[in-house]
Amino acid sequence: MLDIKNLNVSVEDKLILKNLNLSLGKGQVHAIMGPNGSGKSTIAHTLAGKPNYDVNSGEVSFNGEDLLSKDPYERSLDGLFLAFQYPIELPGVTNASYLKQIVNAHRKSKNETPIDAGEFLKILKEKSKQLDIPMDMHSRFVNTGFSGGEKKKNEVLQMDLLDPSLIIMDETDSGLDVDALKSTAEAINKLRNSDRTFLIITHYLRLLEYIEPDFVHVFQNGSVIETGDKSLASKIDQEGYN
Amino acid sequence: MKSAENKSSLINFTDYLSAKYDADSINITHSVIDDEVHLKISVTNSKTPSRLTLVNKNTNNFKVIAEINVESQSSFELIDENNYEMDTSFKMDTYLGDGSVFELYRFNKFKAETRNSFLHTCSLSKNSTFKDYNFTTGSDHTKNQTKINLNDKNSNYIGSGVVISNSSKCENYLDIRHLSDSAKSDCSFKAVSRGKSNVSFNGKVFVDEKCFNTVSNQISKGLLMDKDSKVNLTPILEINNDDVICSHGAASGKADEEILFYLASRGIAKADAERLYIQGFLSEFISKIDDSEMQTKGRKYIIENC
Ligand SMILES: Nc1ncnc2c1ncn2[C@@H]1O[C@H](COP(=O)(O)OP(=O)(O)OP(=O)(O)O)[C@@H](O)[C@H]1O
Ligand SMILES: [Mg+2]
Repeated sequence: MLDIKNLNVSVEDKLILKNLNLSLGKGQVHAIMGPNGSGKSTIAHTLAGKPNYDVNSGEVSFNGEDLLSKDPYERSLDGLFLAFQYPIELPGVTNASYLKQIVNAHRKSKNETPIDAGEFLKILKEKSKQLDIPMDMHSRFVNTGFSGGEKKKNEVLQMDLLDPSLIIMDETDSGLDVDALKSTAEAINKLRNSDRTFLIITHYLRLLEYIEPDFVHVFQNGSVIETGDKSLASKIDQEGYN
Repeated sequence: MKSAENKSSLINFTDYLSAKYDADSINITHSVIDDEVHLKISVTNSKTPSRLTLVNKNTNNFKVIAEINVESQSSFELIDENNYEMDTSFKMDTYLGDGSVFELYRFNKFKAETRNSFLHTCSLSKNSTFKDYNFTTGSDHTKNQTKINLNDKNSNYIGSGVVISNSSKCENYLDIRHLSDSAKSDCSFKAVSRGKSNVSFNGKVFVDEKCFNTVSNQISKGLLMDKDSKVNLTPILEINNDDVICSHGAASGKADEEILFYLASRGIAKADAERLYIQGFLSEFISKIDDSEMQTKGRKYIIENC
């Protein structure tokens, strides 16, 4: 469902992704591990369409369509979701109102009517409870002053609300406490099905032990240098990248 | 408690301009001279706020000259929540007696090709408060000028201006004069400039020699939504005294690309993301309105005009 071919991407004239090839099949869970600065977030940002990421060459097809020619918002409406490594703060807009608007943006693109306020609240309560997010967090401004872990939980909540078909998680597990890691893993496992694909960027084995990826890729210096099954993650955990 | 609706009377100044008001405590005389509506409004004996709401029908240019006198210990709210389609010229002179409170709420939307001016001078006596809220869209040419004279101890000015402009020109002048000791002024101004708009704000604070124990805050912020739009913020301070607590800041800049990308990554198209961003930028300001009814109007105004 996602095919990355010979992708070269530079940021501020610095070549970061170097001839990257990666293919994710429908329903599969892929993990990417790699040292700091190797370009993992750059893949995530490029796929989501962040401005100022220059694709020098290469192609990405998502469900058979050319992903790179689309606007970031269209990619989201097509089913791509990126959980940010560093979620952004939006002062002045409450989380509840923001969450409702993103849900409605997706409904609108499917020609559905805006969600009923009562129904939204019910869903929000239910999903927040699963992730152990207190409801009063939703009356605060989006991510503003949230703790590191709260921001990450809010990313998982958005992922859960938007029902995406391709989920890219950029170090969502970093900064989560033991319980939060477990509930995040549970949320991921619940969303896991034969239609949904995951690309999970992580530094730690712990999350992968809960969710058991189908493939593990080792990323170094802008491209994949090794691919294996989940045992590769254990090997890295013990031996490091060198 | 707010003045009850059923007490309010209607007065027609012309066939296009009228007002709803609390007749028990508000006395109005009016005359029309050369198309210009002259009003004399005096407010007496009102512990709970008396309210006057302007109702405009847009069949003529709006030209009003008002003299307002809020007597001591009285409380008055003037609400102008109109979408103007013709030129407007509104001149107001307000005198606030000891211990009185005046709240002015202007939620105005102007038509692009019109010219609009609002000139207000307000003089405050001992222990009086003026809360001044102005929301405007700008137009071909819009000029807002407010002069505040803090004439006596514990007089207090709280002012907020919001400009949401789209291909418009909007000049704003605020001139606050601390002429007595122990007076306070607190003013914030926020402008969103889009579509080749040009918005300016000149915020002047003057503190006289003898005015010890003065508190004066002023903050102005501009948000530029495209490269052809301008915001000019000019704070001018003239402080002739050492015993003053003063904070003043002015900043303008573009929308944060990281935030807009974050919103886009959630499926929100550019125009909607910008609207949400603007709402966030202005909402800080809305929370400063303590009257919940007016706060709701302010929120509605922002959503409708951004
Ligand atoms: N805007 C930028 N300007 C210059 N260099 C950048 C920019 N953004 C990223 N880089 C560089 O690109 C390289 C890859 O960064 P990236 O964020 O993709 O790494 P990462 O693998 O996600 O690292 P980490 O594990 O620390 O999150 C780094 O050397 C980084 O400094
Ligand atoms: Mg990273």
